[in-house]
Amino acid sequence: MKGSLLVTIASNVKQCLATMNGIEAQLASFALNSLDSEAQATFNQAMLTVGEVKKDLQYRVLELERHEPQYKGS
Amino acid sequence: MMPDWVFIIVRSIVFLVLLFITTKVLGKKQISELSFFEYVAGITIGSIAGEVVTGLEGNMFHGALALVVFGFVTFLVNFLAIKSKKFSDFAEGKSTVVIKDGKILEENLKKERYTIDELSALLRQKNIFKFADVEFAVLEPRGNLSALLKRENQPLTPKDLQMKMPNEKEPQTVIMDGNIVDESLRCAGKGRGWLYTELEKLDVTLDNVFLGQVDSYGELTVDLYDDKIQVPAPAQRPLLLATLKKIQADLEIFSLETDCEKSKAMYKRNAKKIQETIDVLSPYLNG
Repeated sequence: MKGSLLVTIASNVKQCLATMNGIEAQLASFALNSLDSEAQATFNQAMLTVGEVKKDLQYRVLELERHEPQYKGS
Repeated sequence: MMPDWVFIIVRSIVFLVLLFITTKVLGKKQISELSFFEYVAGITIGSIAGEVVTGLEGNMFHGALALVVFGFVTFLVNFLAIKSKKFSDFAEGKSTVVIKDGKILEENLKKERYTIDELSALLRQKNIFKFADVEFAVLEPRGNLSALLKRENQPLTPKDLQMKMPNEKEPQTVIMDGNIVDESLRCAGKGRGWLYTELEKLDVTLDNVFLGQVDSYGELTVDLYDDKIQVPAPAQRPLLLATLKKIQADLEIFSLETDCEKSKAMYKRNAKKIQETIDVLSPYLNG
């Protein structure tokens, strides 16, 4: 019971991570394409913040996988 | 001896050229913003030209000389007016304050020979129907009225609401009539390759595009010759905002779902970070 919950959590976190990858790419593209320098800086800063959050989540995914190695890969 | 009509044609062409040069030299002020002096000079120059072109008995060169003199004097007055404030007040007139601190200044109004009715008419043209709404109003030398509304009657701006609005650069027209405008494309910091990719994303061909503009976020909007085809408006920015909000909500949920205190704190911290990012970005991502 507890195991299956962990699986869903791990896969949810992974999904979230994938979405954040998309966000990061989109922010990077806006940062490059914007003409206003202030907008560029804002998008860039947001991209870095998202990157930090992503790192935390990646670490969490590894942790979850270590706890329940049999559910790896979902 | 040449017939009269040949003279008229020759004179017309000569004076057209002369008038063209004179107006070029005198600058590109609109008729409505001519100063008193320019108004008089303009009328006189016009009638001199008309007179000389049709009045065959007169000497053409006398007319041309008069025209040049008028043009030159006007030019000189303009020049002096730029150099000296006193001279410009004299030659082009001064503005007169007619409403100050919400009160009509009757003396100044009388001095300018304006009646109350005329003043109200000028105010009405500015969509002001109650003089009590006006803090300050000035009759300009050109005869129009400039009015500053009281603070509470002024239209609401984002600044009043303490909203931060992103700076927008002017959009660049990169496609006109199915042709790429390379100069604007360069101004937008893009190349032809980028443009072709964007057009492909929108699923349209270049020769079907009547007008294409790039906004300050580098998004391309197009208008097609075929108005039946629906082109999606760029929605990447609102979409990004929505995705960010979703991530923020996800992180909050994760923090509720986990039992581990350390992870709970981590999720909470990151949810807050994303929320802060959303707050900073939303002026740029709305609309």
